[in-house]
Amino acid sequence: MHNAKCTCWNCPAINLAGKVDFRACGQSIRQFEKSPDSSQETYIMAECNRRPQLGLFDPMGITFADCPEWVESPYGYLLKNMRVMILGIDGYLGWTLALWLGSLSCKVSGIDNYSRRDCVKERGAHTVVPIARMTDRLRRAKEVLGINIDFREMDILDRENLREFIDEVRPEAIVHYAEFPSAPYSMIDVEHAIKVQHNNVIGTLGLLFAIRDLVPESSLIKLGTMGEYGTPLTGRPLFEGVFPADAVLEWDDRQWSMGGELTPRDPVSFYHVSKVQDTFNVYEACKYWWLRSYDVMQGVIYGVHTDQVAADPMLRTRLDLDECFGTIINRFVTQAVVGFPLTLYGAGEQTRGFIGLEDAMQCITRLIAKPPEPGQYGVVNQMSGYTSMRNLAEIVAKVGRQECGLDVKIQRVENPRVEADRHPFEPVFDKLPQEFGFVQADNPEEEIRRMFRLLTRPEIKQRIEEKKHLILPKVWWSGVKKEVEQIELLRQEKREPVEIVGISRSAKKARELAADVNPIQSS
Amino acid sequence: MRTVIIGLDGVPFDLLRDLAESGVMPNTASVIADGAFRKMLSSIPEVSSVAWSSMITGKNPGEHGIYGFTDLFPKSYNMRFPNYNDLKAQPFWERWPGKSVIINVPSTYPVRHMRGAHISGFVSVDMQKSVYPSALLAELEQMDYRLDVDSQRAHASMDLFLTDLDRTLDARIKCYRYLWDSENWKTFMLVFTGTDRLMHFLWDAYEDKDHKYHKLLLRHFEKIDDVIGEIADQMNDDDLLVMLSDHGFERLDQDVYVNYVLRDSGFLRFKDSHKITLNTIAPGTKAFALDPARIYLNCKDKYPCGTVTQDQREDILAELEELFGMLQLDGRKVISQMHRKEQTYSGPFSENAPDLVLIPAGGFNLKAKPNAPVLAEKDIFTGKHTQDSAFLIVRGFADDSCVPETPSISRVVSIIENCHN
Ligand SMILES: NC(=O)c1ccc[n+]([C@@H]2O[C@H](COP(=O)([O-])OP(=O)(O)OC[C@H]3O[C@@H](n4cnc5c(N)ncnc54)[C@H](O)[C@@H]3O)[C@@H](O)[C@H]2O)c1
Repeated sequence: MHNAKCTCWNCPAINLAGKVDFRACGQSIRQFEKSPDSSQETYIMAECNRRPQLGLFDPMGITFADCPEWVESPYGYLLKNMRVMILGIDGYLGWTLALWLGSLSCKVSGIDNYSRRDCVKERGAHTVVPIARMTDRLRRAKEVLGINIDFREMDILDRENLREFIDEVRPEAIVHYAEFPSAPYSMIDVEHAIKVQHNNVIGTLGLLFAIRDLVPESSLIKLGTMGEYGTPLTGRPLFEGVFPADAVLEWDDRQWSMGGELTPRDPVSFYHVSKVQDTFNVYEACKYWWLRSYDVMQGVIYGVHTDQVAADPMLRTRLDLDECFGTIINRFVTQAVVGFPLTLYGAGEQTRGFIGLEDAMQCITRLIAKPPEPGQYGVVNQMSGYTSMRNLAEIVAKVGRQECGLDVKIQRVENPRVEADRHPFEPVFDKLPQEFGFVQADNPEEEIRRMFRLLTRPEIKQRIEEKKHLILPKVWWSGVKKEVEQIELLRQEKREPVEIVGISRSAKKARELAADVNPIQSS
Repeated sequence: MRTVIIGLDGVPFDLLRDLAESGVMPNTASVIADGAFRKMLSSIPEVSSVAWSSMITGKNPGEHGIYGFTDLFPKSYNMRFPNYNDLKAQPFWERWPGKSVIINVPSTYPVRHMRGAHISGFVSVDMQKSVYPSALLAELEQMDYRLDVDSQRAHASMDLFLTDLDRTLDARIKCYRYLWDSENWKTFMLVFTGTDRLMHFLWDAYEDKDHKYHKLLLRHFEKIDDVIGEIADQMNDDDLLVMLSDHGFERLDQDVYVNYVLRDSGFLRFKDSHKITLNTIAPGTKAFALDPARIYLNCKDKYPCGTVTQDQREDILAELEELFGMLQLDGRKVISQMHRKEQTYSGPFSENAPDLVLIPAGGFNLKAKPNAPVLAEKDIFTGKHTQDSAFLIVRGFADDSCVPETPSISRVVSIIENCHN
């Protein structure tokens, strides 16, 4: 188990009580300006909220493997009935995660203000996979899966109520999805840019203060996006948030170590800017207040399936096709289903990281299972592979043809965004597999096949047809108001699409090196 | 007939006598003049948690179960910090008739129901769990009451630390005054702990009259003496006044690391030389130490990597005694006494006792410190506890023979009981 050796120091069920220095019979309550003293002159004292009978103890001693409160799960040791609060629980990921964690015996709570539903309506669109009202969702979750979810309709910006709810639940992990997730939406006009930034930045900032005051030991899993990094044209690797220990800056015949410093961010829309601002706010909060957080630079999610959402039509999670809220693979499949040529922007050679819905759930669960240390701001690049838009379109087209006999075409249209449409791309996404035991379970083609099977159902296909006119983008980064025009319709490629790259260059190299050193073992 | 107990944490017999005689503590001087003033033996080991637990219960650690500020969870090397919940014997206030007021006695956190009022002392973590009855909390907040001085401050700035120490003392005095009047008590116990903190950091300032903080240090004792005068004035003729410290103090020359010695001589091994903590003790270990100098044999069935059997015990103890008996630094013996478990502790909880406790010779301070890179060093502390030079004053008793010539701290309760009889 990836987290067997973690100790109470990582555990959100402890209360860090203070520091003692028995050399001078000294105590210093709630002072953690220093990490546990490596010289072992001072001790940090912890109390366990779950096992108060342990009294005060050294949090470095008891491991998850030793502790009866941490029980084995497929994703590592997990706290028994762990209290997880999902902010944005009505969303594409939030709802899926709620059922996923519920089925792992977590005590799930959550808030949502339905703004995603409202925004999609505002754009004249709807989710093509119909979703039930929250009350029906909750009832069905209980009836079908036996999962109880403590839900409150609430805006994260309503700080007073949020604090009250957090205080009532005392979550041991908080997964924060409650942001507007759309780049184009943030580029519509000034009102939308402000709406997105206000919601995302201020919402997160308020949350950080609430965590500080109420549940500082809880771990915050905050959703960022790979888009925070942009796509630097130098081809510099996209590290996981901070530079690795051996990175060096060379200039003017001098050298500096960059190890541990935040890497440059180059957001690609006002939405992405909000995520970057969040990154800094969370980073600072961890530094000032010893909060613990993972900032998840998430690749684009695709897919419709987990065992729980597929258990009942009323438990399905949403799926959108419009330019603002549809994400790329999901959009491609809806287009293919109704014979709309898949839309590539510009050259279509933009390369992005991707991860299937189920794998994303697995990753978040693994992060919850191995909470960061007090004061730790950890970053993971969460993706299972990367490839170009064009290749993706070809994969979707191939599966559409094979699975449903569809005549899938691909077109290039004008690119309404300001972005490089051909660029080097070398993401590093090693931490989840290496430190959290993540193993990709989704097979992209299989998941796309599943999507076709669901989306070609007549009632869903009908819903796609109804909103077909919302597929082509109209939001230009420049502010121009017009629909994009087709550049060309691509001819069907003879060759097979290339495989999605499923391992980072660095991990591959390490693997090869290890194989060289130890050829017998690797064979 | 009421009893008042005033504790001065860490104040040694000689220092108190000097301060009384030199006029810094005139009120104390007159209490001494009217009573019995004795040098007292502290607990083994000589740390506040053990000493105060012994004092308030009148028992030895074999009966009350507290052997130090740290201990291990059963069958593991995981460290815990025992507290009042672990105290296995009753404190006097649960046995004596009438109401008691108990302020700032170390190792009495978290508080529980009792007759009267109780505010715990070091180590106290959460104010809510440090005050009984909780109705007192609001009152204490008004007084800006602090459980203890923030010792980390001394590392940042001695001035800040001293200001904090002074404020802590002021608030403590306000608190005692309030409870003195508001409770209808029969026993009143108040412990000043700032004295111990001061002497850890500033023993040199006491010895050196030109030291920057010499006057400040004396000022702290003057303030405490004012309180002693105030209390003495308010007592009736048939009341009993007891003053005591839990251990003595002296100048610290060098810290000596017990686990270093054990490692160096092969008694103690670790699995990973980069991560040396008790949690990484390796098989083959015969003995390890907890602070300050409690040596435990790594017994089979008692610890995860324990191998020492009952048959081997005697031999290993003898080897350890030889090892530490010969230990010298700068031509001086480091260890003055060694106490074996069987000879030192008795009672139902003596099973958990250390197998051997070392008491250092003058100037040496013993620490466990598993990962010490050297045998001995000097850090910012200038004073250290002593076992044989605490003090006891008893005033207002009928018969001098009630107070033995060399009392020990676990006898204080019975001395008081004898006086009352
Ligand atoms: N889906 C992806 O491909 C993807 C990729 C990278 C990052 N992300 C990030 O993951 C998170 C979740 O994404 P999603 O696809 O599930 O989006 P979503 O819009 O479906 O989910 C977000 C939920 O949060 C709610 N919400 C928004 N603002 C709120 C507020 N002020 N108060 C309460 N609730 C509020 C919305 O109503 C919605 O239900 C977002 O932060 C997004 O930026 C998503």
